[in-house]
Amino acid sequence: MGTQSCINIQKEWDIVGARQLGRDIAKKIGFGTVDQARIATAVSELARNIYLYADSGKVCFEAIETIDKKGISMIAIDSGPGISDISLVMQDGYSTSRGLGAGLPGVKRLMDEFDLISEKEQGTEVKTIKWLR
Amino acid sequence: MGNVIDLDAKNYKSLLKNYIETQDEKFLYRAEQISKSFLKNNILPEEIVNLHMQALDELYPSLSGEFQRSMNFLLETMISYGLAHQEFQTLREEQLALKSQIAVAASMQDTLLATSKPNIEGLDIGVISVPANQMNGDYHHFIESNDGSIGIALADVIGKGVPAALCMSMIKYSMDSFPENAMQPKSILENLNRVVERNVDPSMFITMFYAQYQPKDNKLHYASAGHEPGFYYNAKRDKFEEIEAKGLVLGVSLDAKYHQYNLHINKDDMIILLTDGVTECRQGERFIEREEVLNVIRDHAHLSAQEMVDRVYKYFQRLQNFQLRDDFTLIILRKDV
Amino acid sequence: MNLDINVTNLNDKSTCAVAGEIDIYTAPKLKEAILPLTKQKGQLVEVDLENVSYMDSTGLGVFISALKSTKENDSQLKLVNLQDRVLRLFNITGLNEIMDLNSTIHGGK
Repeated sequence: MGTQSCINIQKEWDIVGARQLGRDIAKKIGFGTVDQARIATAVSELARNIYLYADSGKVCFEAIETIDKKGISMIAIDSGPGISDISLVMQDGYSTSRGLGAGLPGVKRLMDEFDLISEKEQGTEVKTIKWLR
Repeated sequence: MGNVIDLDAKNYKSLLKNYIETQDEKFLYRAEQISKSFLKNNILPEEIVNLHMQALDELYPSLSGEFQRSMNFLLETMISYGLAHQEFQTLREEQLALKSQIAVAASMQDTLLATSKPNIEGLDIGVISVPANQMNGDYHHFIESNDGSIGIALADVIGKGVPAALCMSMIKYSMDSFPENAMQPKSILENLNRVVERNVDPSMFITMFYAQYQPKDNKLHYASAGHEPGFYYNAKRDKFEEIEAKGLVLGVSLDAKYHQYNLHINKDDMIILLTDGVTECRQGERFIEREEVLNVIRDHAHLSAQEMVDRVYKYFQRLQNFQLRDDFTLIILRKDV
Repeated sequence: MNLDINVTNLNDKSTCAVAGEIDIYTAPKLKEAILPLTKQKGQLVEVDLENVSYMDSTGLGVFISALKSTKENDSQLKLVNLQDRVLRLFNITGLNEIMDLNSTIHGGK
């Protein structure tokens, strides 16, 4: 297991920093150009959610390894208002129809594994993994 | 899927090379076919850009660094399109699933609301009812009583589609629960009004025309709950008149009362009942006036009642470019003895 | 197809000037504008329909729910300046008998 690197998200420019860090780690693990771009986009979506809906939060990256595969794990944590209807925000068309981009369903598509925990008034934690093929 | 892209990658590279060297149209035609194959196999745009980058790198290793970086930039801009494409696919599948559910509901509705045209000697009946979407918010029903009279119910729920259709089933079951005989049009409307008022959303309402025809004395008894007025054709005077019947729509006021009217029907007279889908037809920005319906009926008065309603429907369907805006129901009764 | 709604408030009276077409797509907007006004006790809600050229039955539905709301909340609803085509809908459905309608501008035709 590698060590965790985190980046705090407070202003819009922090999203760029998070993308860069995510891409660098993905590159080091050995992801190709297309997957690097997908991972960077997923980071963007997660970081932008923090920037837009929670006052602050962070995105953490980690290179992970099992017996037979390697991958990148990303965790986005915020202490924002939480998501009251998770099924709704995970619905296709919900985010795009509001002009908010790919949203969480997009992140789920870009990555291989996706988990979300959210408590009202306490915040949201999104954990996601992409495996190297 | 991996196989498809590997196979296409080889193909793509050789086609690209051939095209760059000859600029022959046939290679562009092959590119078009590859494009379709990509789409069919859900190959995303960023993967295609990547394929292009790899092919170029193998064919022309000495291309400038600036050019290669520009391709990276292009790939990045394709990611959201790829996501949108995937989302579109999922939504399309969901839409198909929904459509088939609605089709099942529509066929259930057809069974539930089925009614058959009664065979009454001396009375020629024509009916057509077509929903704008899959489910019909118009309702018509014929009831034959033991005393030889027939009841004709015609109703229109505000709005259309599934909510309207659900509401119609309620009307049908309430009517079924009324005693077989001795129900006057006005009491039927008064009873239904209470059912609707108690059971539907405040912004929902239903209009209904209920008529009872007694062949023994050639009398039509009728009452209307805010329904689009029908027409009476007086054969002797060769004139259409609006059937006047006042009454509040169902579901607005619990204690609404309905007035009952009578009409004596002679040979060749016609009763024309309709829902507002018939008269609210629009041709572009132009509204179709009610008189237009009558003109079409008059033009086809030599035909049977069923042929007449079919002709009117076809006429308005064409006027609206074959896309109904609202459910359409038309009933014509003609006394032919 | 668009619907513009302009609300002006003066003491206990709200005037809604509505312009455009009221149909299944625009009716929710009308409902959102009018219904909250009728929930204020003692309020007179006047809806000016002079610039409404078309309305279908979903529009009637909005006014029916507004009327029901005025009864529950002790407020008043008044519709003014109805064009002939719109007025006809209220007359056919019998709603003219239970609603306060004033169509002096176009009703004389």
